[in-house]
Amino acid sequence: MQMKTIILTLASAAFATAAFAEDPIKIGVPVGLSGANSVVAPSVVQAAELAVEEINAKGGVLGRPLELEIADDASGAAGAQKAFDSLVFQKEVNVIISMETSAARNAGLPIISKGDVPYIYTSFYEGKSCNANLFVDAWVPEQQVPPVVDNFISKQGARKFFLIGSDYAFGRGMLTFAKGYIEKAGAQIVGEEYLPMDGSDWTAIISKVKSSGADAIITSTAGGAPNVTLTKQLRSSGVTLPYGNLAVDEGTAKSMGADAKDIFLSASYVTGIDSPENKAFLSAMDKKFGKELRTPNDLSVPQYEAIYLYKAAVEKAGSTDTADVLKALPDVSFTGPRGKISMNKQHHAPLTMYLGQVKDDGSVAVVDSFKDVDPGGQCPNL
Amino acid sequence: MTLFLDIVSTAAILFIVAAGLLAIFGVLKIINFAHGAWLTIGAYCAVVVSGFGLNPWLAIPFAFLVGAVLGGVAERFIVRPLYRRPLDAILATWGLGIVIGQLITLWFGRDVQFTPALLPGTFDLFGTGYSAYRLFAIVAAIGLGLGFTLLLDGTRLGLSARAVIMNETLARGLGIDTEKVRLATFMIGTGLAALAGVLLAPLTSVDPNMGVAWLTGAFMLVMVAGSSFTALAVACLIFGAAQVLVSTYFSPILGGITVAVLCAITLRIRPKGFARA
Repeated sequence: MQMKTIILTLASAAFATAAFAEDPIKIGVPVGLSGANSVVAPSVVQAAELAVEEINAKGGVLGRPLELEIADDASGAAGAQKAFDSLVFQKEVNVIISMETSAARNAGLPIISKGDVPYIYTSFYEGKSCNANLFVDAWVPEQQVPPVVDNFISKQGARKFFLIGSDYAFGRGMLTFAKGYIEKAGAQIVGEEYLPMDGSDWTAIISKVKSSGADAIITSTAGGAPNVTLTKQLRSSGVTLPYGNLAVDEGTAKSMGADAKDIFLSASYVTGIDSPENKAFLSAMDKKFGKELRTPNDLSVPQYEAIYLYKAAVEKAGSTDTADVLKALPDVSFTGPRGKISMNKQHHAPLTMYLGQVKDDGSVAVVDSFKDVDPGGQCPNL
Repeated sequence: MTLFLDIVSTAAILFIVAAGLLAIFGVLKIINFAHGAWLTIGAYCAVVVSGFGLNPWLAIPFAFLVGAVLGGVAERFIVRPLYRRPLDAILATWGLGIVIGQLITLWFGRDVQFTPALLPGTFDLFGTGYSAYRLFAIVAAIGLGLGFTLLLDGTRLGLSARAVIMNETLARGLGIDTEKVRLATFMIGTGLAALAGVLLAPLTSVDPNMGVAWLTGAFMLVMVAGSSFTALAVACLIFGAAQVLVSTYFSPILGGITVAVLCAITLRIRPKGFARA
């Protein structure tokens, strides 16, 4: 695979830029345009482009226009080092705001500290990544797992859970938390199995599920291929237990067709949120991208909101100075498609979570919502 | 019972995947490392067929045809000059596999594609509900094996192919057009690979790299089996069983490497593998 980092400079909203006399504020967006994240990355870039266009059309931030610097991190550590290095030290961006893999985030953090720029991470992740310069506006296990488990226990009468995951940090992290949470709720874990990320044969695990007497399944695989193979093989083996999938999003569920029916998913964003902010956002996205539009999702919407949160912090601080912006970030909030977001809990954000169930036609019906779920103690030392 | 069915159906799937590779290796003595790419092509044929709203079963003959035709082109322009340089052939076909993967990415994108299930649901067998499609895979593998035996033992092409396997110089001396036999064999091998891709599609995700995961296992099994389909069937049963047992009683993570490790050990102890020759 082509691992060379390609830097694409996008001239944001040319008409607006022309009106500004001041230097632009540069936002670095390292994102997985190639590799595992390449399926979702284009939607993240689109969301960022809309936020920048909207802000610039209304006069920018402190009279300065925003400008995006997009870099491919190849969805991994090696690519992220190059991307962060180039953004922080060559492009000299004022802030990094991006959705990335955990491997890419961990590789980028030392460069963030060395270059001393603020970093808003907009992907959900396994939690407990702490750095003075890092803020997160997406969910952690403490926010995503409880809606599924609570529903299974109280509404479906589940007492015996079987956990299945891909063998990597996110998969294991999510299920480790789920395990503790389920046991604390008084239910039992009857099995916990993992397959390597590139594994595609779930035969033995599915036979174990069937013989374990489990009455609910919770899975946390890598997105894309493993999730699809597991779901297909579960369905073709006739497994119809309540099935909570911690790694599926609306778009994937839709394209999986009949196999995805009845899957439960938990997210901080679904397109069906009934609020004026979400409707305005969706119609603006539709207007800007038309046929090219990638469906907004739980990874792209936090990106959109994070740019507004950064704007609010710069305006409160009165400058783009890193120390001032970091001081302002926990205090500001933005009401966007997901509601009012503020990263005020140890650099993480309380979020309203939605429990959805996939319907016959592949769309997701919101079964339940949980207002302002607390991220818990992620970084007690910050 | 479920364990037994898991073993047999896993072996059947391994057999289906490895058959095309063995056909080519058996006669041509080269390893087609683009085998994974042809699996992928076959699976995308299923995507195309369902995209046109046709009966998903039509994908099977369609993929065989597409795989064979593309295989013919590849044989003529890439593989033919390399029969005497098997190591270069490995390199060339590996490269070809990468090119095909990239072309598929350009055409269909990186995203995971979806195909309708050929046989949904379960089938009651010996009192346990078992995946109907996996049972079908067992039937398909047996059909494929019998078909091949018939082809090799009962047809002119089979006779010529066996002659080429035993002594190519002599076969040519007897007036057998070895070039044509090679072309036909390569086309059948790639056609089978594409067909296997269709059969895999309902079990796995269809993406540009899907074939690569299956290539290693198929390659190891073919190395152990030599040029005999019977040996391949035996190898698939033994190593498939090992994979299922390790996954069930130890860990699915170890299960994933069982086939490769056991094949390597077998070849270390018995360089000829399961082949009687």
